[in-house]
Amino acid sequence: IPITDLLDRASQHSDKLHSLSTILTQELDSHFPPIGRVIMPRPSMCHTSSLETPTDKDQALQVSEANLMSLARSLLQAWMDPLVVLSTSAHTLPHPSRNSIFNKVQELQEHSKNLGDGLNIVSGKMDPMAQTISYLPYSNNIGQDKISKLTNFQFLLSCFRRDSHKIDSFLKVLRCRAAKMQPHLC
Amino acid sequence: SPPGKPALTSCRSPEKETFTCWWKPGSDGGLPTTYALHYRKENSDTVYECPDYHTAGENSCFFNKNDTSIWVNYNITVVATNKLGSTFSDPVDIDVVYIVQPNPPEKVSVTLMEDRGMPFLRVSWEPPRKADTRSGWITLIYEIRIKLDGENDWEMHPAGQQKLFNIFGLRSGGTYLVQVRCKPDHGFWSEWSSTSYIRFPDYF
Ligand code: NA
Ligand code: NA
Ligand code: NA
Repeated sequence: IPITDLLDRASQHSDKLHSLSTILTQELDSHFPPIGRVIMPRPSMCHTSSLETPTDKDQALQVSEANLMSLARSLLQAWMDPLVVLSTSAHTLPHPSRNSIFNKVQELQEHSKNLGDGLNIVSGKMDPMAQTISYLPYSNNIGQDKISKLTNFQFLLSCFRRDSHKIDSFLKVLRCRAAKMQPHLC
Repeated sequence: SPPGKPALTSCRSPEKETFTCWWKPGSDGGLPTTYALHYRKENSDTVYECPDYHTAGENSCFFNKNDTSIWVNYNITVVATNKLGSTFSDPVDIDVVYIVQPNPPEKVSVTLMEDRGMPFLRVSWEPPRKADTRSGWITLIYEIRIKLDGENDWEMHPAGQQKLFNIFGLRSGGTYLVQVRCKPDHGFWSEWSSTSYIRFPDYF
């Protein structure tokens, strides 16, 4: 399978991941305690915030293909454990749409896994640098009381939402670089 | 009296590379009033003032490429000041990736074509000039709408990422109006492009 097609499939998964995380955020927001917005941790508290990533187009376009792939894979890998936490806590989330939220988190897990498998294959066809994965451990927990559960769940989701947008953006840039012989694709 | 409370009304990025915020002034308290926009980026305590009040017109602040980062929250406030005091707007938190709304597609052209004696319309266009779709930094999908001159309802056609679309099966002859709009992968639909007119033959 040509790398263009693999990256195209990967981008479809990453696009879906980000869109799902947006829908989930909105769903959770429909019954979110106002105090939650005040006590919500800052984005710098996301467990992935230590990973240096480009912050605009010029920076992103200067990153090598192997390094963009490495960043996307590191971010995705960093979400494997926290997605399990999200899935487990969705079960007992004090929220009227708990079941729907749980199902969507399951979908996130499924897309993440498929995307991870796909990126393993693509990165194997690239410069060895693409295999490098930065380790970004997740250790926080969701908490016990109603406010903590909802706030930390939403916070974790907001971290995922940003990271999935990064992954999606990096993969779409990679897709277009791979497709440079067929400029009509981009 | 001191100025009334100003309100940030919207922020928008046409291409994920620059953005503009607009505000609505409150009452001026009957005195000459000036406005300033302040912002602070996530992970920094430094407060900056708007880098460019002119480019985007009245009651706006334009952030050029050098002043724009993505995946970073901007905490933005507008302050109105007259000689009796200052009044702050409610602050707004934005990340540029969530406010992307492109300009409309450009160079929309409609041509009358024929396939085995059957006429159809070919609509083609270009992405908005500012949006860098070539590098993949932004991915756009398109939608076309068409109607017979004088009718109320538009017929919609999703075109995906294509920049060319054939419309078959038009029933009546007459002048048709055609417009195209675009949406980024994660963002808002553009306005509709300016209208292209095409004369379609009577055909049965
Ligand atoms: Na994107
Ligand atoms: Na201005
Ligand atoms: Na910039």
